Amino acid sequence: MTAVAESAGRRVGTGRRASPFPVIGWIGLVVVATFVGLALAAPWLTSYRTTELAGRPLQAPSGAHLLGTNGVGQDVFTQLLHGARVSLFVAVLAGGGTLLIGAAVGMVAGWAGGATDAVLMRIVDLVLVVPKVPLLIVIGTYAGPSLAVISLIIALTGWPPTARIVRSQVLSLRRRAHIKAAVGFGATSGQVLRRHILPEVGLILAAGLVGAAGRAIAFEAGLAFLGLGDPARASWGYILRDAIGFRGLFFTDAWKWWLVPPVAAISLLLLGVTFVGVGLEQRINPRLSRHTS
Amino acid sequence: MVNRGERRYLRAALRSVGLYALTLVAVVVVVFSLPRAMPGDPLAALNDPDNSVYINDQAVRAKVEAYYGLDKPLPQQFGHYVGRLLRGDLGFSIERKRPVSSLLRSHLPWTLLLMGVSILLASLLSFMAGVAATWRRGRVSDRSLLTGMTVAQAIPEYALAAVLLIAFAVVLPIFPLAGARTPFADHGPVAGVLDVAKHLVLPAGALTLSLLGTKFLFVRNTMVSALGADYMVLARAKGLPDRMLKYRHAGRNALLPFLTVVGIQVGYAVGGAVFVESVFAYPGMGSLILEAVEARDYPVLEATFLVLALVVLAVNLALELVYARIDPRVGAE
Repeated sequence: MTAVAESAGRRVGTGRRASPFPVIGWIGLVVVATFVGLALAAPWLTSYRTTELAGRPLQAPSGAHLLGTNGVGQDVFTQLLHGARVSLFVAVLAGGGTLLIGAAVGMVAGWAGGATDAVLMRIVDLVLVVPKVPLLIVIGTYAGPSLAVISLIIALTGWPPTARIVRSQVLSLRRRAHIKAAVGFGATSGQVLRRHILPEVGLILAAGLVGAAGRAIAFEAGLAFLGLGDPARASWGYILRDAIGFRGLFFTDAWKWWLVPPVAAISLLLLGVTFVGVGLEQRINPRLSRHTS
Repeated sequence: MVNRGERRYLRAALRSVGLYALTLVAVVVVVFSLPRAMPGDPLAALNDPDNSVYINDQAVRAKVEAYYGLDKPLPQQFGHYVGRLLRGDLGFSIERKRPVSSLLRSHLPWTLLLMGVSILLASLLSFMAGVAATWRRGRVSDRSLLTGMTVAQAIPEYALAAVLLIAFAVVLPIFPLAGARTPFADHGPVAGVLDVAKHLVLPAGALTLSLLGTKFLFVRNTMVSALGADYMVLARAKGLPDRMLKYRHAGRNALLPFLTVVGIQVGYAVGGAVFVESVFAYPGMGSLILEAVEARDYPVLEATFLVLALVVLAVNLALELVYARIDPRVGAE
């Protein structure tokens, strides 16, 4: 990541030759936009509610139930549509929160340097080395099952990678002439960070946001899969949990319409998000086809 | 008599030990303060007549509270808590009515087996694939490896696990659906090991797949930048065979930073193992956590987090010490 950030930093100064947004990024955007469209249109695409017992249990797909029914007779298609809403909501809230904390810490650390930087980076190391999933589980069980709370704890534990990228970017920017000039003319740190640094790290922040949103989607569904979600909302993780926990699922054909759809949905959405991220990275640094985290 | 290199190493080692000790303290503080920061009482469940673990007898409840030291001031409670941890007392499972340490003893080995096999496999495969891809940079095999790894990395572990489960236990019933052993089967020692291995294939496969991507991309990137180095040009000019160039020169230099990535990924693997085990009902920490979440069995959840954090910290510290020993540059500034 540092490598990307640094080489991208070098490019910024050489005048931004706008390299076009690559095809893979467009594919990702189309996938994500499709999910957004389906999630927004959910009330018009289905007449059932997620918890409604809409038919007999384990019905195969039909005109009335596009993806059949689950073990208690709820409509799987309805749950899938509303699950998309949950995932996208968390992506925006937790992804945005992660970016906000990460960018703030990264900018302060990179700009202030010295002891502030050292302390902040030790905190980053500390948070990074603690296994995240067990931590999320412990906090999640205590904090309760609201989506906003889950998004908050995902953001609170997920910001260090973003902070690192932003910091290295700021470190390379602060040596630039125009930044030094701004400081020389008496700009305060806040002004420099807002007026000069923030616009320069825009693309990096966009890539950071996409990465954070993807991780947030995966974590929310994972936590719901483990039983830590908002039971009032149909998360994809919940559908997965219900299906896998259903005794004798594989003695019937029900797995085809009950287990496959949530797995396919989350995989597709995350692939879409990843492709957008890859597209952004190639845009930032065309020489690099893919970087490591 | 310690020479300068030795002193440098000691300083670097002390620094790592200090950092990890600090992290461990932070973890313990978080676990200690979580139940106390939340509204209500850590033992609220015991005092709630609607809860299944409600203790009817007032005297027993008081005894439980005294056992956890909840009638004392916070600093004293913390001292008491740390003391208990140091004696290896991880608390008592409210739901299972057993000491948590005995639960961990039966679950942790399975998770360590799953994680160990997966991390080892993923490290070997990703390193070899990374070296091979760099050598064929830009060609079809490199591009397809790159795409495949990016896809595998994008999909979360539980989804990968579900895909493997459907493909190789349902559609093609080659491997068992769930568990770590055939229940009640009385195998001989050889058949027993085979049985365990057969149950391990799919969970370890899913976890390995999810660990491959990051490592592969890292090796590939390190190698790509190593290829342009002067010593590579020289080695090539000397007419050394490709194998030598690949592993002795380029690979060796990618190996050290690779170790760090392996270490960082141990924490990630812990999370992956929890998810994968839940899909396959594999009897490790994941299953323990799953049941504990269901029952809101806080002592179990806290202990699993503590122990898993301890495992990850220990592995990272060990790797860092090894790293400092091998890499002459550590502590040189």
